[in-house]
Parts: sequence; structure tokens; C-alpha cells
Amino acid sequence: MANEPTMVNGRGWGDQDHVPGIKSELLELNMGPQHPATHGVLRLLLHTDGEIVYKVTPVLGYLHRCAEKIAEGVNYKQWVVYTDRFDYLAPMCCNHAYVTAVEKLMGQAVPERAEHIRVATSELSRIASHLIALATFGLDMGAWTPLLYCFREREEILNLLERISGGRMLYNYMIPGGVRYDVPNDNWVADVLDFVDLMEHNKLPEYNTLLSYNKIFIERTADVGIIDAKTALDYGCTGPVLRGSGVDFDCRRDDPYSVYHKFDWQVQIGHGEKGTVGDCWDRYIVRAREIEQSCRIIRQALQTLPDGPYQALALKAIVKVPAGAAYTRVESSKGELGHYIISDGGQTAFRNKVRSPSFCNLQVVEKVGVGQMVSDLVALVGSLDIVLGEIDR
Amino acid sequence: MEQNAIYELLAGALGDGALGFTENPLEPWAAVETAKVAEACRFLRDDPRLDFDQLMCLSGIDWDGFDEAGKGKSVSILGYSDDGQPEKSDRVATGDLGVAYHLYSHALRHKFTLRVRVTRESATVPTISGLWSTAAWHEREAWDLLGLKFAGHPDPRRMLMEEDWVGHPLRKDYVMPDLWNGVPLQGQPYCANPFPVESGGPDKPAGDKPAEG
Amino acid sequence: MQLLYDFFTGQAGMDLAGAHIAVASLMAVLMFTVMALCAIIFTWMERKVAGFMQSRYGPMYTGRWHGWAQAVADMLKILGKEDIIPGEADKGMFQFAPILVLLGSLLAWAAIPWAPDFVAADFDLGLFYIFAVSSLVVIGILMAGWSSNNKWALYGAARGAAQMVSYEIPLALAAIPVVMRTGSLNPQDIIIAQQGGIWNWNINPIMNPFLFIAFFMYFIASIAETNRGPFDMPETESELVAGYHTEYTGMRFAFFFLSEYANLFLVSMIATMLFLGGWWAPFPGMAWIPPALNFIIKGVLLVFLNMWVRWTLPRVRVDQLMFLCWKVMIPLSLLCVVGAGLWMMAWGQLK
Repeated sequence: MANEPTMVNGRGWGDQDHVPGIKSELLELNMGPQHPATHGVLRLLLHTDGEIVYKVTPVLGYLHRCAEKIAEGVNYKQWVVYTDRFDYLAPMCCNHAYVTAVEKLMGQAVPERAEHIRVATSELSRIASHLIALATFGLDMGAWTPLLYCFREREEILNLLERISGGRMLYNYMIPGGVRYDVPNDNWVADVLDFVDLMEHNKLPEYNTLLSYNKIFIERTADVGIIDAKTALDYGCTGPVLRGSGVDFDCRRDDPYSVYHKFDWQVQIGHGEKGTVGDCWDRYIVRAREIEQSCRIIRQALQTLPDGPYQALALKAIVKVPAGAAYTRVESSKGELGHYIISDGGQTAFRNKVRSPSFCNLQVVEKVGVGQMVSDLVALVGSLDIVLGEIDR
Repeated sequence: MEQNAIYELLAGALGDGALGFTENPLEPWAAVETAKVAEACRFLRDDPRLDFDQLMCLSGIDWDGFDEAGKGKSVSILGYSDDGQPEKSDRVATGDLGVAYHLYSHALRHKFTLRVRVTRESATVPTISGLWSTAAWHEREAWDLLGLKFAGHPDPRRMLMEEDWVGHPLRKDYVMPDLWNGVPLQGQPYCANPFPVESGGPDKPAGDKPAEG
Repeated sequence: MQLLYDFFTGQAGMDLAGAHIAVASLMAVLMFTVMALCAIIFTWMERKVAGFMQSRYGPMYTGRWHGWAQAVADMLKILGKEDIIPGEADKGMFQFAPILVLLGSLLAWAAIPWAPDFVAADFDLGLFYIFAVSSLVVIGILMAGWSSNNKWALYGAARGAAQMVSYEIPLALAAIPVVMRTGSLNPQDIIIAQQGGIWNWNINPIMNPFLFIAFFMYFIASIAETNRGPFDMPETESELVAGYHTEYTGMRFAFFFLSEYANLFLVSMIATMLFLGGWWAPFPGMAWIPPALNFIIKGVLLVFLNMWVRWTLPRVRVDQLMFLCWKVMIPLSLLCVVGAGLWMMAWGQLK
């Protein structure tokens, strides 16, 4: 926060004389922007004393494109592509957040079928994103093999989403008023259901045996990087980070949007099974368990997929939104993704503020990262599951 | 709790610092006096009947041109002229700046929206980063992109742009500089061929020979 | 060996000193070649093993058959790369460090008993010598990290030095029960004492359970000693970028690489020598297998085990690593030494 490094165990600047008479000072260490553990182009400026971190200063902006400025220049439908680029690991969730916000301003109703498709694709995207989170967190802990296993399953999801949207990574699939294409009639629904069964009954137990309950993994993550519920709320943490801290909150259930209220699923929170509530292992296991819940949601959404139109409007290029302002939030894979859109009644947004979950989640390292070892800081940043596209926007 | 009931409590605590409550079905909001916003936030956070434990979002807004419907566009991205030069305008913005605070209570499950407006000349808002730590980065971002100063902010640096960047991009009258530290910023429209066409037709720029070895 | 001496003193007409020099040079070249070859083979093997463990194939194209030439191609590529020395680096030390690291592993290879009559340097303090010269690697790593003038490299070097110095203790302690049983530090004597099939090997828990425990002590300590997962603290690619060799490129990086695999095979061969009967075949009826082949197969199996562990387990943290060494492994190995001694006294096995 301030320019003075925080005191750790009663020591700070000028206090580091281990041997009387020999002056020692803190080591300034640049972790990133090219560093394997920072998940992109994040730069953490560390002040360390040996392995102990005294101060963490995240430096952002290496991926800044000012998408909010672009939102003032392109019309509402055109901006959907930019939401893809926020959280490029779960673009469907970002699409969903944005179109939900625009529809709320327009007062636009969405056909039931489109909502079901949106939920299914969003949850597939969430699984893909959580798989990356588990994989890279394992990699941060030095476990290579789970990475490849998770990418194997993610590949399946990308194939499925490619079949419905035409894109593998960036979909541009949802539009205000519906989705761009209907479900393809090449057995897509059955394939998704098969995949979901495989994921839930076969692959998740595999990850758990390989990584989640591994003794070394637990040693590395339990009781490390503890974010208690109060800190999490204070720093505006959301999503798996907040739930890992034991706060029972999920926008999908508590601030309902789309058709999530129709399905039977549970919000997963951290219980501190292996250590303290809010440690890295809790955040990890919350994500693993959310994959299971997402599978349940997808299964229900596709088994009850209603007939009918998949778009409310004919695909008009220009959507006009009545004047007004609203903050809309949805649960993206990283947490609460909010759009504060102010419309002046024109074709483009007057102001579109994006509240990205990773941006708020990352800030907590300034507090929790202090006094940790460098290895634990890597664990902490890994367990926050940040995406720099979303932080820098 | 109902939105207007929250406002009643807030108005009672702030006195004439509360400037009014706008009810609309989409998102009701309360306007408060700029100098009193930290006080209002403290009351909203600490009062057990309200208990707003989370700041969902803090947005800086440039209200310039909002009332002329459709004209609130940023001027620097008007587009490109036919000969590929970026269009520019010499518009001078005069409208107010503003900040919107979106609060949420996890215990009581209600939301509330506060808005403040400041003039373009002062552009100073009291910081609330002492109340919710998450505000610190949001305020830095608002300073960076909109030039809103937050009085009492512990770390008032730019968040996303370079430290020595000039201007605040989300202001409506922001014009992107041509150069930054010697780096040209205004590109050509990407559809045009950036290479001078001398030989070999439009899709084979001059000097583009396959690498040898 | 005797054949070589006979050749040089007889047919080549040298005196004994000349023959010594000739044999020594020949052996040095041979060992270096074998070592380089091992590094290439184990690189390929590591890729294939990792590939199959991660449900993929690994290299498949270079050289047609399962990408066998991939490692060769990589070595050629790495030889052709630019040798970059950072401007602020301590040049002399920076250039010398990889050589020292390689030297540490190469010297130890001299005392490896490949077959009953084939060891490059057959001397009575062989085991002691191996442990002594392999400590050189630590100095090389520390020099590499310090001279790179890179903070990450310095971290890696500091971690590496702490780790390798610590783990040398359980490594050596785990070998002591074997020496007690044999009554000799000569590698050949240690192997000869394990004659007579798998039940006479030192690992046999019925013969001496403490030796059995010592084998695992040795194996764990050897993983740490070679800086491989889950103890790859000096490299920790997700924390320290690449640790002490962050700034190295081309040939100098290849030296570190070579030394890693040479060390890997070295510790596996020492484990084979100490616990798995060296070049003896596992069963009496299998004496037709060449002893060197026995030795190499056992070594490669241990290398495979090492790779298996590396690609399965997450990495421990640096303080946990130290905890494991000083508070678990060293007391346990001391217990092994005492226990093995008492056991041998009780059953009259002590030499």
C-alpha cells in the first residue's frame, strides 16, 4: 500500500542487521512480467529477506487495451467480442455477463431455450476455466502431470464449444437477446451429456487421487495464504476465493440471473478440512467441487432444453438501449463479473465500467502475501486464479 | 431492506449532505454531497441495520455530453477518414465528473448505489479506501483513466497506464497523443497496406523477399 | 583392465608408467563418451516416460522410430546456439562454473565398477572418493548462481547449496551400513560381498532390515542430491524461473544439462552397487548375462523410478525440504547405522 514496507515479526527497513556491524538490506525482486508463476504478464515487485517476503507490490497494465474506451466507440453488439478477451479462459461467462447487463438495461426478455443454452455453455466454460486453475495451480506446486490431464479434458470442452459457436477459444457467441446460433443438430447435446458424465464420475476422482489429496500437495497448500472471511470481504474478493474463505455466497444463487434458479445444485464453500478456512487448499478444492456442480447444472439444463426460438430479436446490427444506468453482476468462473453500463439512449454505451473479479481478488496479495515465503507467495497467487486479460482489460 | 428505507436512514444520518434519491425500476440511486461521501459510506458500512460489508464496484464517470443524447462519444475514436488519417475533434469538455459506488451487504442481502458529482476543475473526491480496502485499486484506476483525485488516498499512482503517461484516456475530450517516449501511437487503419506499394501489386509489398538460409 | 595393461606393456612396448597414463586417458575418454551418451539417452527416455505418464506420446517424428533422434537433434541445436554471457556477470566464474559442475559428475564416474574386471579407477577408497568428488557440484552451482548476477539465479544457487550440502549427510550415512557389512570401501569388494542371488543383496529385508531402510534413505537423498522433483529446489521452474542456470545458454547450459543426467545415472549406479548386488545377476541360473548389462539394467530401472517419482509428485517447499533432511532423514539414517550394527552383531555378520 504505502511506500514503507510492512513490518514482519517486528522487523522492517533498517532493522535487518543479522550480524552486528554488517549492514544488510532487503532484496528487491521483480517477479514478472515474464515469470512462469504469474499466469500472464503480471509483475509483482517483491521486497524479500532471504525467502521471506516483506512487501508485495503488484504492477499492472501490461495487457491494458482500455476496452472501456472502446465500448464508447462501438455499438452494443460489436462489443461482445471484447468481452471474450477479458477472461480468455472462460469467455462464455464474460459474454453472459455483458449480454445480461445490456438486456437488463433494454428490458429485453430472452427466450427460454436461449437461456438454457447460455447456462450450459457458460458452465462448460467455467469447467474449462477451473480445469486451467487446477492445472496451473498444480504446476505452481511442481506437479506437471495434472496439467496435462486437465488440458486433455479442456480440449474436449473446446471441441464441444467449437461445434456450437465456431470458435475454439474466443466465441463471440452470445448477443443481446439470445445466442448467435442454435444448438447444432449433430448430436451435440448427447455428446455434452456424455462428457459431463465422464468428467464427474471418472476424471474428477482421477485429479483428486493424483493431486488434491496428495500429501506433499496438502503440505504445500494447507495453512498457506490464509484469507479469512473478513479480509476477503474487505478486499472485495469474490467467487471461489470468497467461498474458499467460508462465505456462502454465489451470484448464481443469491443474485439470480438467467435460469439458474430452476436447477438443483449446491454452493461449495471451504471448510478448512486440511488446515484453516481460507487457505490455498480450500480455494483449490472449492474449484474442484464446483466442476462437479457445474456438471450437474449442465446436465439439468440440457436434459430440459425447451423448444422454441434461440433469439429474441432478428439479428439487427444495431441495438438501441434506452437511457439509464444499471450495475449487473454475474458469477464468472473467477468471481463476480460486473458491468456498470450507462446509456444515453444512443447506439453506444456512454460509459461501461467493468468490475472484473481478478482485479479485486489480486489486490489481496498486498496484504496476505506479506510475511510469506516466496514459494508460498507463488501458491497464493496460483490459488487466486487470476487472468491478466481481465485485470488489465 | 427497501432502497428508499435505506435512503431515509442515510439522509437522517447525513442531514443536508444527502442530495436526493432517484427512484427508477432499473437501479435507484442516491446522490450525496461530495465532501460527505466518506461519512456516508462509513455510516452505510457500520450501521447494523444496513451492514454494507462489500464494495462491489466503484466507477468513475465523465458526464460530459450525457444530456445531448447520442453525442457523448469519446472524441478520439471517431474513426478514420477516407485517406486513412484518424479523425480528430477540438471539442473541449465542460461537463462534470462523477463517481458511483455500488454497495452490497452479504449479511442482509441488499444493495445500494451512491453517486457523487464533482466539477471538472476540482475533480477531487474523498477516498474511501480506509473503509473498504478494495476501493484503493478502484480509486487508482479512476485516477488513472479519468483523472479523479482521491483526497487522502495512501498510494495515488497510476494503475494501468504508464507512470509518465499524459492525460486520462476515459475523459470524453481525451485525444491520444501521437508520440509517447518516441513511440508512435496513432497507427494506420489496419486494412491498409502499411508498406509502400512499388512493385509486385497490392498484396506483395516491396522489400518483402523470402528469408534466405 | 589387466588385458589393457598387458596390451600397452607388451605389444605397444611401454613401461608401466606409460601404460598407466595410456589406460587413464583411454578410460577418461571412454567415460566421458558414455556419460554424454547417457545424457542423450536419458533425455529421450525422460521425454518418453513423462509423455506416457501424461497420456501423450512425447517425441515421435525425429528419426522415425519413436523420435529416438530427438535428443541428438536437440544436442546439435544447443551446440549451435549463441553463447551469451550477461554484461554484468562475473565472466571468469560464469564460464568456469558449468565445467566444474560437469567435472564433479565426471570424476565420480571413474570409480564406478561396471563389471568384475572393468573399472576405470579401482582403488580401495572408491566409495569415499565418489562422495567426495560429487560434492564439487555444489561449488559449481553456487558459482553459477552468484556469477550470473541475477537474483533468481542467486536464489536457486543458495537453495541448491543448502539442499545439496544437507542431503550429502543422509546420503553418506545410508551407505555406512553397507560398508559395515562389507568391511571395505572398495566398490568391487562391496559388490563381491553380495554374491549369490537376490537374497544376498544388501536390500534383502530378512538379512538385515536396517539395510532395507537405508536403501530408501539413500534413494530419497539421491533424488535431492541430483536436484530432481519433488526436490528440485535449485530449479523450481515455477518459482525461480530456472534457478541457477537462468542466464546460461547454448553449450554452457548443455553442460548443466549433461551433468544433471550424468548425476542421475551416477546415483542410480551407486545405489545398484551398494544395495542391488552391482553386476551380479538376480538369480544363480542367470550367470550367462554379461555383468555390465546386469549393472546397467539395474541402474536404468532406478533411473526410471526416479523419473516416475518426478512426474507424479508435487514439489516440496524449501523449509519442508530442510525439515525432512535434518529432522527426519538424518536421525533415521543414524538409527539405521546403529541398528544395522547391532543386528550384525546379534547375528554374527559383522566383519
